[in-house]
Amino acid sequence: MTFVVTENCIKCKYMDCVEVCPVDCFYEGDNMLVIHPDECIDCGVCEPECPADAISPDTQPGLESWLKLNAEYASVWPNITIKREAPADAKTFDGVPEKLQHFSADPGPGD
Amino acid sequence: MICSAAKLGDVSEDGIRRLVDAFYDKVRLDSELAPIFVRAIPGDWGPHLAKMYAFWSSVMLTTGRYKGNPVAKHLVIPDIKPELFERWLALFNETCGELFDDGVSEEFRAKAARIAESLKLALFYRPDRPWPPESAR
Repeated sequence: MTFVVTENCIKCKYMDCVEVCPVDCFYEGDNMLVIHPDECIDCGVCEPECPADAISPDTQPGLESWLKLNAEYASVWPNITIKREAPADAKTFDGVPEKLQHFSADPGPGD
Repeated sequence: MICSAAKLGDVSEDGIRRLVDAFYDKVRLDSELAPIFVRAIPGDWGPHLAKMYAFWSSVMLTTGRYKGNPVAKHLVIPDIKPELFERWLALFNETCGELFDDGVSEEFRAKAARIAESLKLALFYRPDRPWPPESAR
């Protein structure tokens, strides 16, 4: 079992999660973070930390596609453990529906 | 219902330290777990205990004090078996109940159970075998 980062992280990328994660299992894309499902120990610490409520346990129904996206990009994006400034327009995108169209497959800078 | 006044009703660094110390005292006396742990930690237990204070502080108090890779650490332990996680949880749950009130105990137990399950999946799950694993040796 693992936690997964879901749609509302896209273009919000607040990064509060990376500081509390005990196992450093967040990976950074250009405009979203993902969790490595094989490294996450399901402790749940990150879930309430996310200002965008974008993190959920994979036991929640309907998250299969997000679990797949997390697994796929966690293996190619760089690791991130240190929080930086969120994007300037993060708030504008918080809660906007259908954000998947804004998803970028490009890697972020990482630590 | 009357709860024992001596039991801790909140999570603190001091409570975590007491829990970890009392729990590993039990582990070191346990016929199933002691051999595994003593082999993995042959010398001074100080650094391991300090790491566990940090781990539980990170998990229960979101302090971010622990940074590590527990999956990788467990993968290299010889003779590790799924049923040892049950034994670990039983001792941990018992220790929680001795130190903390019911509410706090349950918070620790719930986290421990999730983490144990996740470690078990990482260590033992194979797509071609049934899950949960049968406790065959």
